[in-house]
This record gives sequence, C-alpha cells and structure tokens, in this order.
Amino acid sequence: MHVSTITEEYIRDRLLRGLREGRKGLLSYRGISIITGTMPNAEGSAEVSIGDTKVVAGVKIDVAEPMRDTPEEGTLTTAAELLPMASESYDPGPPSPEAVEISRVIDRGIRAAGIVDTEKLFIEPEKVWGVYIDVYVLNYDGNLFDAGTLAATSALLTSRMPKYENGAVIREGDLGRLETKNIVTSCTFAKVSNNIILDPDGNEELFAGARLTVANDENYLRAMQKGISGSFTAKEIGSMVDITFERSKDLRKLVKNAAGE
Amino acid sequence: MSKKESKDLMIDGKRLDGRNPDELRSISIKANVIKNAMGSAYIEWGMNKIVSAVYGPSEALPKHTGDSEKATIKCRYTMAPFSSLEEHGRPGMNRRAVEISKVTSEVFSNIVLLEKFPGNEIDIYIEVLQGDGGTRAAGITCAAVALAMSGIPIRDIPFAVSVGKIGRTLVLDMNKIEDNYSDADVPMAINPRNGELTLLQMDGILTGEELSRAIEMARHAGETISRIQRNAIGEQYGQIDA
Amino acid sequence: MKKLIMPGDILLSRPIRIEHTIVENGKTYATVLGVFDDEKTSFIPLEGLWYPRPNETVIGIIEESKLNVYTVNLNAPYKGIIISKYARDPIVNGDVVEAYVKELDKTGTVVLTRPRVLHGGKVLYIKPAKIPRIIGSNNTMAMQLSAGTKSSVAVGMNGMIWLHGGDTDLATEAIFKITREAHISGLTDRIGKMLGASSAEAQPSPEAHREA
Repeated sequence: MHVSTITEEYIRDRLLRGLREGRKGLLSYRGISIITGTMPNAEGSAEVSIGDTKVVAGVKIDVAEPMRDTPEEGTLTTAAELLPMASESYDPGPPSPEAVEISRVIDRGIRAAGIVDTEKLFIEPEKVWGVYIDVYVLNYDGNLFDAGTLAATSALLTSRMPKYENGAVIREGDLGRLETKNIVTSCTFAKVSNNIILDPDGNEELFAGARLTVANDENYLRAMQKGISGSFTAKEIGSMVDITFERSKDLRKLVKNAAGE
Repeated sequence: MSKKESKDLMIDGKRLDGRNPDELRSISIKANVIKNAMGSAYIEWGMNKIVSAVYGPSEALPKHTGDSEKATIKCRYTMAPFSSLEEHGRPGMNRRAVEISKVTSEVFSNIVLLEKFPGNEIDIYIEVLQGDGGTRAAGITCAAVALAMSGIPIRDIPFAVSVGKIGRTLVLDMNKIEDNYSDADVPMAINPRNGELTLLQMDGILTGEELSRAIEMARHAGETISRIQRNAIGEQYGQIDA
Repeated sequence: MKKLIMPGDILLSRPIRIEHTIVENGKTYATVLGVFDDEKTSFIPLEGLWYPRPNETVIGIIEESKLNVYTVNLNAPYKGIIISKYARDPIVNGDVVEAYVKELDKTGTVVLTRPRVLHGGKVLYIKPAKIPRIIGSNNTMAMQLSAGTKSSVAVGMNGMIWLHGGDTDLATEAIFKITREAHISGLTDRIGKMLGASSAEAQPSPEAHREA
C-alpha cells in the first residue's frame, strides 16, 4: 500500500514548475508495458500497465445471434469492469456510469478504426460470430481510457479464431488468427489548474476540471470523448490532437511489438 | 468432444496431464501485486490464474451489515467472463459465486482476530482471471497470502486444495476436465497449525473411508502448499537482519 | 537469533504477553508478520495495523463537520473526532490536520486534541508498522529526511505522513525506500547517502524516471 493524497494547491504549484509524480514534463506518459497472451483460455488477452494503473483485457469469440438490422454481420461487444479490488472507491454492483463511459469510448475507437470486420464474421443464417472484449481494471491510478484501449487493441490483434464445425465450436488445435486490420490507440489529456497534461494519474484526475480522450490510427482521428464539467478552447483541442498524432506513433509501436508484428 | 467417462481420465495409473494421483499441479504465488490494497497476491495454480486483494478494516457499510461486537469478513469471489476455455461468461456474481463467496468468508472469519475491530468490515476480493478447475481452493490459498501481507492479525495462514475421485482412485487437485467427468469432488481449506478444516464441500459419490483418505491427502499436500505460500511472503523481505 | 515470523508461527512454547501475539494452549503465537529476537524476546511487526495510544501524534483529513464536532479520516479502523471548541485554527472539510490522541473511546472512536492545520503539501499513506523506522531512534531518521530534502515532514503513527515544500519527490522516494528496507540493517546510512548525494547536486532534479 503506497498511495498518497495531494492537495490542489500542491499540484498547481508543481505543475507550474513542470513537475509531476514519477516523470518529466506535462506531456509525457508514465512507463507503459504491454504483455499479450497472458490468459490463454481466452481467444486473446493482454495485460497493460501505465504507471501504477493495471488492466487486463480478454477477448472471447462465441457463436451469437446477429443483430436484427444486420443479419449477416457478426457482433462486437466491449465492457469495462472497475473491480472493487482496484481502488478503495470502487464498489461491487452493476457497471457505474464511469465504467459504461470507458467501455463505450474504447468500443467506439475499435469500431471506427475497423479493426474487426464484422461482415466477415457471418456463419450461416441466424448464426454469426460474436466478439466479446472485457477490460478488467486491477489497479487504478488514472487514465483507464488509454490503458483500456491499448489492452483491447492488443488482445484483438493476438486473438485466435475458433472454428464452427458440425454445430460445435472448436477453440483449440490448429486455429488461425482473428482477422484484424489497423491499430487504434488513444491519448487522454486533463486540464488541471489550467495546465494541459497528458496521461493523468489518479491524483491528477481528482483535480481535473476537464478531460479529453483522442483515439486515432496513423492518419485519422477515430474517436473522441470530452469528460468532466470544464471546457477546452479550440486552440487547446487543436494542440491536443497534434500531440496525439505525435505520441501515438510510440503507442502503436508498443502495440505492434506486443502483438509480435 | 466425445462424451468422456471417468474411466477415460486415467491411463496406466497416470492422469491425462501425466500426473500421479497424489500429485499437485505446479503452483507459484507472488505477493504485493495490487498497490492500492492493504495486502494482495497473485497465484498461478496449474492453468488457474487468480488475483486477490484485501482492504480494511473499515467501517461496515451499509451499517446494518456490520456487527457491533466484531469485524465482518466480506469475501467476493468472481470469475472474469474471459476466464474459461468455453463461451463468454457473465461478469459478476452468479449463484455459484455467491455460495463460494459465503464459504470463503467463513474460512477467513475463522482465523482473523475479528473481536479487535467491532463495527468494521474486511473486504477480501478473489478474481479468477483464468479458471481450470479448483479455483475456489486456489483462490483461498491466494487470499490467505494477501491477508498475511495486509497486517490484519490472524491466527494462521490457511491453505486449500481439492481432492476428487476418478473411478475408484482418489486424485489430488483436479483440473477442469477431470472435474467435469469425475465421480466426486471434495474442496477443503485447512489451518495448518492445528490441521482443522474450515471448508469442506462434497459433490458426487464417496465412502466414509474415502473421505478420511481425501482429508489425509489434502493435509499432506498442505505441506507443499504452505511452503509455497510462506516463500511468497518471505520473498517480499529478502534478508532479515532488522 | 533474529527470525522472520509469519502469522500463526509459534514464538515461544510458554505464554508471554507481548503485542501482536496470542496465547493458545499455553503457547505464544504471532498474529502478524514480523521479526522475532529470541534473545531479547522482542517481536517487531513488519506488517500491522495501528492501535491508538494516548498522546500519540496522528495525521488525518477532515471529513465532516457537524454539531461542533469534526470527523477525521485516519485511514484506520477508527474514526477520529475533534471537538471544535478545542480547535484554534479555522478548519474546513478536506483540511489535513496533525493532532494528538486523547483516548480511544468504547465506540471505537479516537478522541483527538490540539489540532494543527497543515496547509498545502501532500499526504502519503504507508503501513503503520513502518512508521517507527520513518521516525528513527530519537527522531534521527525524520530529521535526516527533513534536512536532506528541505521539506517539512509531519509523521502520524497512523501511517499518514505529510510533506510540504523542498524536494517532496526525493522525500517520497526516501520514505518508500525506508518502508521497503525497514528490516535490513544499515538503513540510516543508506538513506543518508541517498539524500546526501542528491542534495550535493546543483538544483536537484528528482525526475529520474523513464518516459514512454
């Protein structure tokens, strides 16, 4: 148990001097690690740490019913679980609005980037493949959006593709990979005491007036989400987008390395 | 998959994964994996991968769940939806998880000095990230290390293990396939200091004689399991010359 | 001989009354992780919760104020209270305070006196069992910490430590080093080296961490 509480005054004073806990500069990430294939029962999995934030994503692929409006397409479902073990402030129970927001933002990035082509997940009439992504938060220290997106993307990129033969799902043996294309990552910024910072940790999120998550691939923005009651100027948003395109090069490299590409 | 019967689970006295009837799967434990928690541990027990964290003691909430005489243990055992080789599960608590959480709470209520913290609760979380049979035993073994690391006063460090029956043979520590087709399963938790059982469940068909042999097997396996638990704790301190 | 002891381990095969132990069947057993010195019959816990004692210093955060009573979060199984007439400074919710234990009442509430509001800074939470090492014998470690980092340091026996000014990052690092190495001898020297080496540099830069 090594945690701390900081006052807003303390954080403001430090940000003015460009100081943050455990790193240099307002626009830098904490150390990031991605390990894939940690949970081999799942079709795909990845464990991601950003500083002390730790999440694991698992992908399961099942036979599912298609959505009524897309009878010939597979389905993609993303959920985020803020486990009560991850923080004193998380309680057991149905997903909190916070968890719902995180899962939907991760989901939007993955869909918009077209990582999984659901049209290729058709099996037979009334039967399609359903891809389930679950992001589990094990330790909370801020920036679950970026950690969750890194984990979900890395898990998808390394997923096995089960087979459907004679009415049974085959999950083991000689299986190919889930067909994926593209990589999506996100950069999350927070405005704390009028400073824009990248990758807010838990204490910084406590005092953040506004938050912006920008998900992108190499060329395009794919999803964005502004959070908390504060606001950003157009100029601030422009600069966060620029920084995202710059920083995401490193993030994509980390995902590629972890996926063995 | 063709329908298996228990007789297919053992060939020439060896189990499908090559183990002898009285052999444990490989177990490794790492303490202090969740920074925010008072105590935590991660266990790999065969293909099981489970993380456990302890929080508290803190004021029991809602208030009516507390006990003005002593602390209340609130254990929460859950399985991640991606934890099995089969289909996607539902997150959170089903009836099975509710029952396991209850009996696990009782295991730890037995050893925590509850009377020191009236009106408080101690939260013990057990999250199965990957399951391959025997998750409740592995979860209890892991949570016991988390609890020892938390500094909450306890009388002993319990371990748990399951003994099953395949045909007429008692087998230690069944994996998922064995569990699915076995003739009996007996998960147990034991306090090593006095050898007493704090968890005992049974499912299947078993004679009284077999049950006492099963308990003996579990106790014997406990020597190995306890050593692994203690090493995981000791590892956090390295050399001792305070 | 000093020995690492785990909860449930036997300390002595006779009953003795020392803290963090229980006596069962005439024998003494540990209830927490610790180091037992059988020559001195002393048991030093490595992990453990805080049990309030009169006159001890605590650090807490004001949670609520009503009916002339402030409620103080002590990050412990006990709630702290301060009767507002004993508070000289104005106190508001969220304030960090240093105060002294008057008593632990029967309802498990710690009655606190002589509160002092600590403005700004940050509060670290460490395991209470490590606090004696943060203070050191005759306060040496705490003084060394404060001199080497130019930070104001207030240490609460409940495991909360307040830091303000100077190089709080270095102070934080040193405190966590102490908690990790509390049981290894030569700690004061190692911490001295760590703080001395850094304060010798011109304009210390506490950011020695990697970037993504």
